[in-house]
Amino acid sequence: MKSNRLFFRKNMIALTGLFLCLFLIVHLSANCLLLLPQDTARGLYNAYSTFLRENPLIMVVAYALYASILVHVVYAVLVLIRNRKAKPVKYAVNLHKENSSWASQNMGALGALILIFIIVHLVNFWARIKLGIGAEVAYDEAGNKDIYEVTYTLFQNVYYVAFYTLLAIPLGFHLHHGLQAAFKTLGFYHQPGLQWLAKVSLIYAIVISAGFGIIPIVVYFQ
Amino acid sequence: MQLTFRIWRQEQFQDKGAFKEYLVDHLTEDMSFLEALDHLNETLVLKGERVIAFEYDCREGICGQCGIFINGRAHGPHDHVTTCQLHLRSFQDGDTVTVEPWRAKAFPVVQDLIVDRSAFDRIIAQGGYISAKTGTAPEANAILIGKETADKAMDAAACIGCGACVATCKNGSAALFTSAKINHLNTLPQGKLEADQRVRDMTAQMEEEGFGHCSFTGACEVECPEGISIANIAEMNARYWKARLFA
Repeated sequence: MKSNRLFFRKNMIALTGLFLCLFLIVHLSANCLLLLPQDTARGLYNAYSTFLRENPLIMVVAYALYASILVHVVYAVLVLIRNRKAKPVKYAVNLHKENSSWASQNMGALGALILIFIIVHLVNFWARIKLGIGAEVAYDEAGNKDIYEVTYTLFQNVYYVAFYTLLAIPLGFHLHHGLQAAFKTLGFYHQPGLQWLAKVSLIYAIVISAGFGIIPIVVYFQ
Repeated sequence: MQLTFRIWRQEQFQDKGAFKEYLVDHLTEDMSFLEALDHLNETLVLKGERVIAFEYDCREGICGQCGIFINGRAHGPHDHVTTCQLHLRSFQDGDTVTVEPWRAKAFPVVQDLIVDRSAFDRIIAQGGYISAKTGTAPEANAILIGKETADKAMDAAACIGCGACVATCKNGSAALFTSAKINHLNTLPQGKLEADQRVRDMTAQMEEEGFGHCSFTGACEVECPEGISIANIAEMNARYWKARLFA
């Protein structure tokens, strides 16, 4: 059977999207260490970071993560191009707010904001820690790379705090629609389950968005 | 009652088309939207102008012909209605009403408010039927079907093929239409025999016709006169996986 691009592309976006949703849970859980008092947080966060960097399984997961982001973006662009072609003339008046959520109509724009965030975020941390671009990362008392210090210094800059916190908002909207749409794209059609899924997606989006949004502010005031 | 209609006028597919405004008087709030267009057309005939082309058939909400985009919504401001069931009481005296044809690559404009929806027919032709010998109707209880199954199939079969789903979808996706037609037949024992091939062929035609991807905005199920649920699309996706992996 020949693959149908309408299904294949959306399935790829859904699968990578769900993997990224799982990643966000792990990432936020670990970042919650930053909410602890500074001395405790520094030790635990640096030890955890070292564990991640030295674990071969995590290395594989990291590559899966880079690939997922890339595939998610590439197929989203392909989908967008096809969708634009399928709707070449726009309506003079279109009240889509009356029949669908704002987030669902603007997933591309929300995704673009998140991509900008990811790039800045990678430059701030990944490039500095893994690639050694920028100021060298010091070591803490336990001999671990002092990632906490990198985070702490970054969030002493009020503009970065604002950037990280504000961009958690489009993330929340993107996840609220994306999580439930991913399940439906992959063929989850159980009616009571779909109502449950809508609630779970909302809670998930709020927790992730609020969690990532609050951490920079808390670190700023520490 | 007086309304200003801002209507899309286009001589034929190749033409550019533009909006034209018509101030229409002597309307009553009990008129259906189509009757208001009839009334306007009568005045145009008397003036010797070309009448506004729009489609209709039953005028009782079951044929799916009267697809018009009215004031930013498919079939006008209400959920789950056809244009013929829309009445002027839904508008205020003196309102300006913007009237546009369905917009989608797969639905080219034929004239004014009429679009060519034969893309739907070609999807149906790829499997929106069961292969059976014709003749006298078989005995109704020869194949027993549970009430829940029959109801589920009927909910999908309620689709009248009006095209509001494609019209309202920002991606011009025909997923709601195609899924309704697939699920209607694949739910029933008569349709199960060709289930996988039906999914394969009808979705392939949907791709071929140039419709967009479904991104589950849910706009289609709100504008659908029959209120067909987008859970049907999710079910079609599951059937696609099954046909692709196991058939």
